[in-house]
Amino acid sequence: MGIGSKARRLALLAGMAVCACGVSAAEAAEKHKIFLSMSFIGNDWQAEAANMVKAMASHKSMADKVDLQVQVAGPNAQRQIQQINAMVQAGAEAIVIFPISPTALNQVVKNACDKGVKVFAYDAEITEPCAYNVHIDQEEAGRVTAEWLVKKLDGKGNIIAVTGVPGTSVDDLRTKAAKEVLAKYPDIKIVGEAVGMWSQAVARTELSKILATRSWDDIDGLWMQVGCFTANSMQLEAGKKTSELLPCAGEGSNGGRIQMLPEGTEVEGASSPYAPLGAPRISYASPPYSGALALTLAVEALEGKDVPKKTILPLPVVTNETIKLCDEGTWAEMKAGCNAFKPSLVSNPGWFASIFSDQTPEIGLAAALVGQPEE
Amino acid sequence: MSAISPLAAAPAGPLSRLLSRHSGAIIAAVVFAALLLVVDLVSAGRLTYFDISFLSSGGATSALAAIGQTLVILSGGFDLSAGAVISLVNVVLATGMDPMATGSSVVLWTLVGIGVGMLVGAFNGFFIAILRMQPIVVTLSTMFILQGITLLVMDKPGGFVSPDLGAFYLGDAVAGWLPMPLVVIGVVLLAWFWLKGTRFGTALYAVGSDPDAAASVGVRVVLVRFLVYVVAGGCYGLAGVFISAQTGSGDPLVGNPLLLSMFAAVVVGGTRLGGGQGGPVGTVFGAYILMMVVNILLVLNVSAYYSTIAEGTILILAVLAGSLSHGSVLARQFRAARARLTAWRAGMLPSQIDRVDRRLRIARDSAGDQPVPRPPFHVRNAETLRYALPAYICLAVVVIVTQIWLGRAIFNVTYWNSLFVLSSFLAILALGQGSVILTGGLDLSVPWTIGLSGILLAGMVNGSDAALAYALPTVLVIACFIGLANGIGIVFLGISPIVMTLATNGILQGFALLYSQGTPAGFSSPMLRWFMTGKLFALTPVVLFMIAFVVFAVLLLGRTAFGRRIYGIGNSLRAAQLSGIAVGRTLILVYMLSAVCAAIVGIMLTGFSGQASLGMGDDYLLPSIAVVVVGGALITGGRGHYLGMLGGVLLLTALQMLLAGTTLPYATRAILYGLVVLGAVMALRERRLQ
Repeated sequence: MGIGSKARRLALLAGMAVCACGVSAAEAAEKHKIFLSMSFIGNDWQAEAANMVKAMASHKSMADKVDLQVQVAGPNAQRQIQQINAMVQAGAEAIVIFPISPTALNQVVKNACDKGVKVFAYDAEITEPCAYNVHIDQEEAGRVTAEWLVKKLDGKGNIIAVTGVPGTSVDDLRTKAAKEVLAKYPDIKIVGEAVGMWSQAVARTELSKILATRSWDDIDGLWMQVGCFTANSMQLEAGKKTSELLPCAGEGSNGGRIQMLPEGTEVEGASSPYAPLGAPRISYASPPYSGALALTLAVEALEGKDVPKKTILPLPVVTNETIKLCDEGTWAEMKAGCNAFKPSLVSNPGWFASIFSDQTPEIGLAAALVGQPEE
Repeated sequence: MSAISPLAAAPAGPLSRLLSRHSGAIIAAVVFAALLLVVDLVSAGRLTYFDISFLSSGGATSALAAIGQTLVILSGGFDLSAGAVISLVNVVLATGMDPMATGSSVVLWTLVGIGVGMLVGAFNGFFIAILRMQPIVVTLSTMFILQGITLLVMDKPGGFVSPDLGAFYLGDAVAGWLPMPLVVIGVVLLAWFWLKGTRFGTALYAVGSDPDAAASVGVRVVLVRFLVYVVAGGCYGLAGVFISAQTGSGDPLVGNPLLLSMFAAVVVGGTRLGGGQGGPVGTVFGAYILMMVVNILLVLNVSAYYSTIAEGTILILAVLAGSLSHGSVLARQFRAARARLTAWRAGMLPSQIDRVDRRLRIARDSAGDQPVPRPPFHVRNAETLRYALPAYICLAVVVIVTQIWLGRAIFNVTYWNSLFVLSSFLAILALGQGSVILTGGLDLSVPWTIGLSGILLAGMVNGSDAALAYALPTVLVIACFIGLANGIGIVFLGISPIVMTLATNGILQGFALLYSQGTPAGFSSPMLRWFMTGKLFALTPVVLFMIAFVVFAVLLLGRTAFGRRIYGIGNSLRAAQLSGIAVGRTLILVYMLSAVCAAIVGIMLTGFSGQASLGMGDDYLLPSIAVVVVGGALITGGRGHYLGMLGGVLLLTALQMLLAGTTLPYATRAILYGLVVLGAVMALRERRLQ
């Protein structure tokens, strides 16, 4: 493609006034062309994961190896199929995907593999055997959290379960594994179950509905995929003291982590309910660094290294015993064991705090927040 | 709002008649060709057969489903169950097909898929045609019921669709020349041309244009309506078969997100919402236009944050391209402006002429003038009561069931307080969406008006009560501008409300993403949190606000000139225009009202959750429409009372609270929810055609 024809095309585009972002003018020949196909961009987890992927791609160890292009498919699997096809057409060497559906992409992924494209799925799974998968063990997540809750309650009590998005594999695996654990204890009763859609806002609406006909005093514990931060806030609003907060097994949001710190801890920028409460919690998450890790694995695979088809990430679990506040949130600091961030740095309590991985020294807090890699 | 336009002068020659009759489809085809050219120009290398083949399969599912939706819309209906049918067929095929049987019959499973779709269509058709219920609420209930059934069939992605199906539907009809998806669409379109030529086809357009007139010339309106939903169901079924072939497996959520773009495809393809004009050919082009936009964005490497903005803009431009003719609303607005300018120069504008009372003097018969006694309340308000009461009766039933099943309802202050707090969001949206629906429009920009308002507010307030003083007015003023933009697009550019507000929604989503950079910062201030979650004499403060709001809403719609104009426009736009109502100004104000209501909800949600999140308004779009209709309003406009809508809000919220209190699985809850809504509106059946 000559410079002239490119200029003509750019002029044409400018005339169409579609968008100001044109085709990047000079592409280094040796750079690997890698595409990122995200799902819906409109939630904290997705935005963080995207920031971390971008930070990883711009880190000095990667910047001259990778030419990364990001696309968003929304919640629509049909569109992701079309995007992946178009990426293959556009000459992708590797595609990193947050798969909207574990099964619906199989055909198009197989088609991509057949053309020699490396396909990496992060967080969720693609069941097509030629794809590489990077995620946590969802069943373990359900099991570990349910076991913690049972132990906290001494095997006895009424609990409320708030699940994720019905009809997804992740929700199904987590919820089934947790219920299997709970079923072993006949004195544990699930007295209310709501669909939380992995959203703090939905968790509040659903809990409000349940508590319209129930009182907090009838409930002994909570198992939630997302919503412990909200549940703690609601208990305080209902007049509970911080020492009376119910044990809650749930998500790894920074707000929830800060609430786990012992009451009275000095934390910059904290204001109730985004403040240390000593809340009894186990906090776990699907870590948002999985996309960035998938990108490094994709580069390794393109460089001819042997990469396993399945990378199971260690489940990041934080309890009141292991909670520790970070000062700045560098990778080195997290490596030393801190796992919660000051509200003055992370103003959004719904932001996911499980960003540390042994394998990604390129990215720290700044990567997750603004897409800035570590030095 | 093409209905604003006086009928375009009938063109003379047969060729121009042909052109004008199919102008929608022709314009869609031209836009499609232009986009194809753009894709060809900006992508590396020329378009090959492979590109065409893959483009054709990419858009086939939505094209097939949108053909079905077109038929429903042509008949004057509306079908929200289309996406759910696609999911259902997908999981039925994925669980039903035996992975071991290699020679599973393509024909058999295609028929199964179409059959499932037709069955659902018959269910819809029964309630809509035979029981004369409103399509939007019937199909919404069907959507919930189907989502439940789909999850019962398959509770997570999996299953297996025979590769034979994929090989057939995605392969080549003529190798190297004609991809199979185009043949499938072609066959469906041929079937449509045949159907159009039959008496049923004529009857379909007749019913969509004017059901009363159709009935009086002997068209069997009930039968035609019933069959339309059955045929449309078959189309969704075929779309479900196609997506199964494409994905090779099952996913219970696969079809749901296709719904909104389906409507966009229909409208971009030149079919008029409300019926009687357009056709499936344009729709097919419409579906492919929407799909091409995605590809163009990919090739141009548009940043993810801008992609919804670009899509929204392209949607508007594509529709505007269609209105660049002499008879378009835009062209007429220009001519009218020129005429006004000339009149102003000549000093002939009404405002420049002396005001003289030119009203007709009606002679009063003063002698023996007995004041006519006012009819009693229930007679004066018979129509309102007939449509508003069912929601309240059902509400009472739901509350009693809650009391019996869960206890602690009727005599529990907490229950009522929660009911009102949770209802407050929809109660406020109901005024905005309700007013828009009363004028015969629809506001699909509600979700991201809520989201953007909440995010802006949280960002500005950031926990400080003092900042509320300027943040609240700022957010509300921004909402006014959003509504103004919607109104201007609809009134002055003549874009249909669905397309305009859908595009606005996408553009607002882009703004929200850009502003928040993906993670909204900031949180609600203590006062706002107290307002939504605190206590004032055992009641949450927002409940008192809601009571005041209800009084305001009832007065606004029932007792002001503005309210009267809304009903006037909804009953007959032409009559409203001729009676001297400033239709354009009123419509713009209605969309501004809707945007402001959505912004208030965004602010309230931020206070309720303590923070704002992207997508926090997504769950409020369909309910905001449902409560208006459940409350007795007519989706085509002109009829409905705010108190009825409030009844709808309370009913749906109480029902959700009842279901949340049980430990029933989600699938069962969805089915029950759909059935109860369907039962509740059974009483709202339209009167039999005379």
